[in-house]
Amino acid sequence: MSRSSAQPDSGPASPRIGVYVCQCGGNISDVVDTATVAKTAALIPGVALSKVHAFMCSEPGQAMIAEDIRNEHLNRVVVASCSPFLHELTFRTAVHRGGLNPYLYEHVNIREQVSWAHHGDPAGATVKAIRLVAAAVHRLRHVEPLEEIRLPNHRRALVIGGGIAGMKAAGDLAGKGLDVVLVEQSATLGGRVNELSTLFPAEESAAPLVRRLNDDLQAHPRVVVLTETVVKAVSGFMGNYDVMVGPAPAAAGAASGADPQEGRHLTVGTIIVATGYDYYRPAEGEYGFQRHPQVIPMPEFITLLARASGETLEWQGRPVRRLGFMHCVGSRQIEGVHPPQPDGRVNDYCSRVCCTTALHQALAAKRRFPRMAVFDFHQDIRTYGRGHEDYYLRASQAGIMFFRFHGDDPPVVEPGSNGTPIQVRLKDWLTWGEEVVAPLDLLVLAVGMTPRDNRGLVSLLKLPVGADRFLQEVHPKLRPVETAVNGILLAGTAQAPMAIDETLASASAAAAKAAVLLAHDEVHLEPFKARVDPEKCVGCGVCFAQCAYDGALVREEGQREGAPITRAKVNPGLCVGCGACVAVCPTRAIDLQGWTLNQFEAMVDGLLSAPQPVAATNSNPVSDGRTH
Amino acid sequence: MAHVVNPDLVQDLKAFGARDIEACFNCGTCTAICPLSKDGVVFPRRIIRYVQTGMEHRLLCSLEPWLCYYCGECSETCPRNAQPGELMMAARRYLTAAYDWTGLGRRLYLDVRVELGAILGLAALVVALFVLLGGPMTTELTPEGGVQLNTFAPAHVIELLDWAVGGVLAVLLLSNVWRMHRWIVGGETGLKVPLGAYARGLSTLLIHFFTQKQWLGCTPGLTRITTTRWFKHFCIFAGYVTMFVLIVMFLRWFQTDAVHPVWHPQRWVGYMATGGLLYGVSNALIGRWRRREELHKHSHPSDWIFLVLLWLTTVTGILVHIFRIHGLPHATYITYVIHLAVLVPMLVIEVPFSKWAHLAYRPVAIYLQQVVQQARAAQAANPSPQPQPA
Ligand SMILES: Cc1cc2nc3c(=O)[nH]c(=O)nc-3n(C[C@H](O)[C@H](O)[C@H](O)COP(=O)(O)OP(=O)(O)OC[C@H]3O[C@@H](n4cnc5c(N)ncnc54)[C@H](O)[C@@H]3O)c2cc1C
Ligand code: SF4
Ligand code: SF4
Repeated sequence: MSRSSAQPDSGPASPRIGVYVCQCGGNISDVVDTATVAKTAALIPGVALSKVHAFMCSEPGQAMIAEDIRNEHLNRVVVASCSPFLHELTFRTAVHRGGLNPYLYEHVNIREQVSWAHHGDPAGATVKAIRLVAAAVHRLRHVEPLEEIRLPNHRRALVIGGGIAGMKAAGDLAGKGLDVVLVEQSATLGGRVNELSTLFPAEESAAPLVRRLNDDLQAHPRVVVLTETVVKAVSGFMGNYDVMVGPAPAAAGAASGADPQEGRHLTVGTIIVATGYDYYRPAEGEYGFQRHPQVIPMPEFITLLARASGETLEWQGRPVRRLGFMHCVGSRQIEGVHPPQPDGRVNDYCSRVCCTTALHQALAAKRRFPRMAVFDFHQDIRTYGRGHEDYYLRASQAGIMFFRFHGDDPPVVEPGSNGTPIQVRLKDWLTWGEEVVAPLDLLVLAVGMTPRDNRGLVSLLKLPVGADRFLQEVHPKLRPVETAVNGILLAGTAQAPMAIDETLASASAAAAKAAVLLAHDEVHLEPFKARVDPEKCVGCGVCFAQCAYDGALVREEGQREGAPITRAKVNPGLCVGCGACVAVCPTRAIDLQGWTLNQFEAMVDGLLSAPQPVAATNSNPVSDGRTH
Repeated sequence: MAHVVNPDLVQDLKAFGARDIEACFNCGTCTAICPLSKDGVVFPRRIIRYVQTGMEHRLLCSLEPWLCYYCGECSETCPRNAQPGELMMAARRYLTAAYDWTGLGRRLYLDVRVELGAILGLAALVVALFVLLGGPMTTELTPEGGVQLNTFAPAHVIELLDWAVGGVLAVLLLSNVWRMHRWIVGGETGLKVPLGAYARGLSTLLIHFFTQKQWLGCTPGLTRITTTRWFKHFCIFAGYVTMFVLIVMFLRWFQTDAVHPVWHPQRWVGYMATGGLLYGVSNALIGRWRRREELHKHSHPSDWIFLVLLWLTTVTGILVHIFRIHGLPHATYITYVIHLAVLVPMLVIEVPFSKWAHLAYRPVAIYLQQVVQQARAAQAANPSPQPQPA
């Protein structure tokens, strides 16, 4: 879309401002006397015409603006209507259709802020509407045409983390014809899935799954895979990230202790973070962990079972005749019941995959060793996913015995007193809270997922982190894979516990979103950014201390009256236009384009000098284009 | 004391006919739907859970299985198809075997070969007794043209044998009922039952023994009583009890050589009782064969054996009567021997050790439930003083 605007004269010297008052089908005009507002607005200096319309946002309403710009030679436009969230863009576009720079437009909200807020006071509401219109007109006398900021978009993506999420995202992006760099800290791709054997649902094996994702990557010349590599430094902004990658700490040590490889710079437009999860590590003594050698975490059991041979399962040389699974280890913790994690909080979230994993493994064990008695201790069975419930049904049918405990009264693991090394003691709520004891030879802790400790990366990318310490999206429903940092996206279990199907779906979603961001050669940004007037900047530097957005203000060496000076300069890619710097600059060298201090002052003048309402001759006629 | 989980009880109950009870995930739908489960006696999930966790003693102390009449609603609504109704049935067999202190019940239930062997052995014994001790098989007819059955098998001799066998069986059954009572009342820790409670419940015992009216609770809002399972069962019960009374107490009046006219009570009472039996038992056999209703879907061998023996007893009894009044001496004698060769094993095996015993256990369970409730209420009204810590 071309935004070049060959508009008529826009100098503040000869303003011809059109004011349009919307009735919003009664939403506004039932309270505000719109005809009076329009008639009074015509008295404000600079207003060339003012009109009322039932629905300004309708096609005739918009066409009216465009025609008036052409026929009446308007050079500024005010629409007094609903919230700018709804229609500011609509009217900007209408103004542009009329041949005017779209930023020579001001939107006044007389619905949410006037008619809805003051429906008990029509006269007062009408006066307020006039004042707001007057403020807008005054501001418009000082505005200048603005252009969207366009920056080159580096059409390449960086994916951090080579688990299945990162692999899938990279493969999808390459499939869309985009260049991708995938960095993985370890020596192999596949992440945690490499540690699994057979997967639920559908019982496929982990290794071929990873292999197929890997084959997809190999097939694309556009993918560069860097293993044993991590991100060392990041600067820039969406479309223009400058990333330095280098050998992962352990890999650097292993390769050659003396000569750590030089970092390598990459310029990318967007970054997908797919750094995955960690297993929860039980505290010493938690369910007997590390006190009884017969208590092991799930990953260890998965390997044990996958490697088992012979007629009986053995653990440390002893046959396992009675096997137990403990759910929710490290998940759904309750404050005051479970000891807090290092950050002082408990893991109160559900890890979602451990229920199905426990049932999957319990069933696999029972099928492999039918004479083994298998016990399951849970709070709830949350087999939420497609095909997961089947495991629960089949596990029951196979005779696995289920016991249910309350989260605030968890089971206790103690030395066995019935001929087995350990036993679990719990109040079973399926048996009316009776205390039962299950003698066991081996207890498997269904450990949940915890966020990986990726503090370095989190601070490099300024990633938002949720209360559960997983990386956080902007909006769980509407923007599920975007972070609050423009251009940085999330994929897989770095964001939340997910099974493989959800992980891959989220990876594909992140890739699709990244492709949208990389679709054009340029990124377009709104022009409302800070701007430093080099003539006025004295290089005091107080603005730097106020700016919360790293890199938005940069230092620039220069000359002032022959002497060297370090001035502030705005990087429009990183500036969010908050105005914090404007407020502190002692020389008024910084201003916000589109919202200058002058304009604010003019608005205050407008509010104070607004004319008194002039009663319209007939009350509230719907204008069909007549000029008042 | 914490209960130590025992995963083996499920297998035991499966041997007694439980089906997919492991599939139960304890949702409680079955208990909610059961028209007979109510506050204080909550089933079937309670019984299922005892079985699943191996709470054997709790199961032995439970009277709930006897309160279930297998309407099958639970099995029909169970989301896991765990067949809770069939578990209740299996629990009744399990309890019948467990109450029996001789241990024979268990062996008969768990091994159909043992059961059939016992039946054949007893039948052979009966035949042998007749061969050795039977009276002359005279072909001379009575003046009315009837067979002289009492010459071959004199009523007063048969009557003595009746009493001897009946006495032994009664002792066995009552001793089993005593064990049942010990468990059910003893299962309530610390419960003292006042004697008055036992006495007050006696009418309940009799009413439920004779009417099985508890069963009518299974079909709330019923329209025609004759279509209910209760009615069909009542035909069997009434016919059976009538015949039992006639044979054990009035054999001399019942087994005559004289052919009475049709309006004579000996004939029409007999016809009504055997008619009821034939109708009820045939119905049950056909039901089990067709497997349409929930309660007939799964049959344990012991169910078939009981019904077949009862049916054969009825039919041979009717044949004896027909042959006798029509003056067919040999047919009468042979059928009479067969009749007893079926009847005796049926009674000996079924009364104390197997299915027949439910005639006693069901009303006793209802009776004990009331006794326990009253005892509990009495205890709640006057709580015994707790020993105070020093
Ligand atoms: C015990 C257990 C059993 C499971 N079984 C199943 C199952 O049978 N079926 C199923 O559907 N799901 C299962 N899951 C879930 C499954 O493991 C996850 O969905 C999947 O592994 C998530 O993949 P990921 O790529 O998001 O994360 P990960 O597998 O953790 O991969 C993340 C990758 O990122 C790398 N990385 C991390 N930080 C950095 C960094 N800073 N720089 C560079 N690289 C980095 C890591 O080295 C790793 O390779 C199971 C989960 C558990 C806990
Ligand atoms: S998935 Fe199951 S075991 Fe895991 S935390 Fe949730 S409820 Fe607990
Ligand atoms: S038997 Fe069926 S209905 Fe009853 S608790 Fe179990 S699963 Fe639920």
